[in-house]
Amino acid sequence: MSEVAPATPLRERAGRALEDTFLQQALTIATTKFIGLRREAFDEFPEGEALRDQARAIKEATLQRLDHWLETLIDNIERRGGHVHYAASAEDARQIVLDIARRTGSGMAVKSKSMATEEIHLNEALEAAGVTPVETDLGEYIIQLAHERPSHIIAPAIHKTKGQVAELFARELGRETQPDPEVLTRIARAELREKFLQADLGITGANFAVAETGTVVLVTNEGNGRMVTSLPRVHVAVMGVEKVVPSMTDLTVFLAILAKSATGQKLSVYTSLVNGPRRGGELEGPEEFHLVLLDNGRIKQIAGPLRESLYCLRCGACLNVCPVYRQIGGHAYGYTYPGPIGILLTAMLNGPESVKDLAHASSLCGACADACPVRIDIPRMLVELRKEVDERRIAPWPERVVFGALGSLLRRPALYRLSARLGRLFQRPFVRGGAIRRLPLFLGRWTRTRDLPPVAARTFQERWADLAREGRR
Amino acid sequence: MTRAEFLARIRGEMGKTRGLFEASPASRPARPRERLDLLRRELAERWRENLERFAREFERVGGVLHRVGEAREVPNAIARIAGERQMKSVVAWHGDALGLDVAESLGARGLATSAAPGLEVSATERGQRRALAAAADLGVTGVDLAIAETGTLVVVSGAGRPRSASLLPACHVAVFGREALVESLRQAGLALEAWHEGAPPEWRGASINFITGPSRTADIELTLTRGVHGPKEVHAVFVEQGLTVARRV
Repeated sequence: MSEVAPATPLRERAGRALEDTFLQQALTIATTKFIGLRREAFDEFPEGEALRDQARAIKEATLQRLDHWLETLIDNIERRGGHVHYAASAEDARQIVLDIARRTGSGMAVKSKSMATEEIHLNEALEAAGVTPVETDLGEYIIQLAHERPSHIIAPAIHKTKGQVAELFARELGRETQPDPEVLTRIARAELREKFLQADLGITGANFAVAETGTVVLVTNEGNGRMVTSLPRVHVAVMGVEKVVPSMTDLTVFLAILAKSATGQKLSVYTSLVNGPRRGGELEGPEEFHLVLLDNGRIKQIAGPLRESLYCLRCGACLNVCPVYRQIGGHAYGYTYPGPIGILLTAMLNGPESVKDLAHASSLCGACADACPVRIDIPRMLVELRKEVDERRIAPWPERVVFGALGSLLRRPALYRLSARLGRLFQRPFVRGGAIRRLPLFLGRWTRTRDLPPVAARTFQERWADLAREGRR
Repeated sequence: MTRAEFLARIRGEMGKTRGLFEASPASRPARPRERLDLLRRELAERWRENLERFAREFERVGGVLHRVGEAREVPNAIARIAGERQMKSVVAWHGDALGLDVAESLGARGLATSAAPGLEVSATERGQRRALAAAADLGVTGVDLAIAETGTLVVVSGAGRPRSASLLPACHVAVFGREALVESLRQAGLALEAWHEGAPPEWRGASINFITGPSRTADIELTLTRGVHGPKEVHAVFVEQGLTVARRV
């Protein structure tokens, strides 16, 4: 277990999100905008669909020879004078980064946006060890000043208004200012520019790593990824093992669909191909380069039920289209990774117990699988997770009882027919205008926000039997 | 955990997988260097169309394209950009990497210009150069590839090609000739394969940056804002003829 379970139940967290009117508005605006931008980007890119299939195949092919591609990557990085470290758990990864910070005498670390370092809760560990972590992606910077966690994979601060950001800057930076994004951005630029030039250590994640060339690839819009990998003395990249791709040719396939899926851009502003430490003659670049390869539950899934989620590019497209995410936002999920893919990743990192409620936070509508650039079948794995949660008796007992009863009913046709008849009898007092609008006792919680369709006057089976008789006549 | 233990763990899990569908990575071009040379000859015939497409896409992402006929007109174009913005100081790539020496001619136009050294310098000097770049108003670089499909400038770092020139100043001016133009991301991929196969070892450690417009964010209420950390403005000066550069890809 690498992450602490949220203190309140999902129902409560979701309830709070639903009552937060600003959050509701922000979520609608942001996700609707992202959906539109993504659609436009693919509409004018007819080869996109074929490239998505190809990208999916590359991910699968890489997994099938993951040991080979990782070895190739490691060899090429070491050939360039970089160092590679191996972290089985979040704890290992934190320890590796802390050791590097200590050995190099680093007092301040600038970070570019990275879900992997969020996942291992690196910032808390750095602070505890006396190293000041500074998030430099504007959204992450805001979140860090507010002592919060990101609520969207690619837009971490979408739940905040410009007014809130202005208040935050006034309180934390002592800068009174207008709630104007332009002005706020200028303040952040000046504050962070100082940090980039002072910091000893630069910490990043990695969007990809190209095995054949030993290249770590970072995609950003702001340029902070370039700063972090060029200015400090030491660069550490923390990367899940599944991010490796074989060649530069493979890389361009992913680049062609990643930004389109995330923000609707043809390419993000900066794609940085980082090849280890500074070379002779260069004016900038780190003296040391380290890559931390992170397992943290991933390796077990190579042969596990969540294998396909190892294809994930962390683009956020599935969040934007998910009817559940659009209602409750990222924080309600309670863990590092929100949204449909987030449920699977949470199960991967923290075990199936952590998602006994979250596994149901999906309508299984399939919009996520549709939007996913590498066509991950998220609904299928959610159903499997539900099954696992039930079989391992992690699910709450009423749920197991009800599912058990339904299961045995469906397996016994006579019992099924009987229960339909009984249902028709007992539902009579509750049916109003063709729907059951209110149920008594604890069942009332179900009908509080929705109607229950009643058992039909004649069930499909009964009508089928009639038709069969007519046919014979 | 050691490398051997870590990889053994991965192999252990790989051994348990069953019924996987057949999949292969993208097929890499054989002899990419030759293919690239061939492609470049073809592209030389179509440079006008590619430039138009590049211009369209580059402007779409917020870049500004300037066109000059010959290399000697470049300093004027840069001085004009600086002048309109009351900019006073410039850092530039080394003359060999840029294809022309701008330090003297920009200096003569009243711009305090420092060009990067072409060779390894001391740590102290690197520190001073970095401070210069951080304080400069404008950074001048060359371009290794200009991708028409996306309006992207690809720059490879190295001796005489500081990364900071396209990163720290508020305004970036990139100078390129028709040889830099490629049509698509796919063709850029071929160039990267060729770079990997055929580049001399001292070039391979470089940092390669794809730059598609000025630095931007939409992190506050999804309002598009330019120049968060990188340049607020990106200009590209296209030189129709006479720019000779030792390209890196």
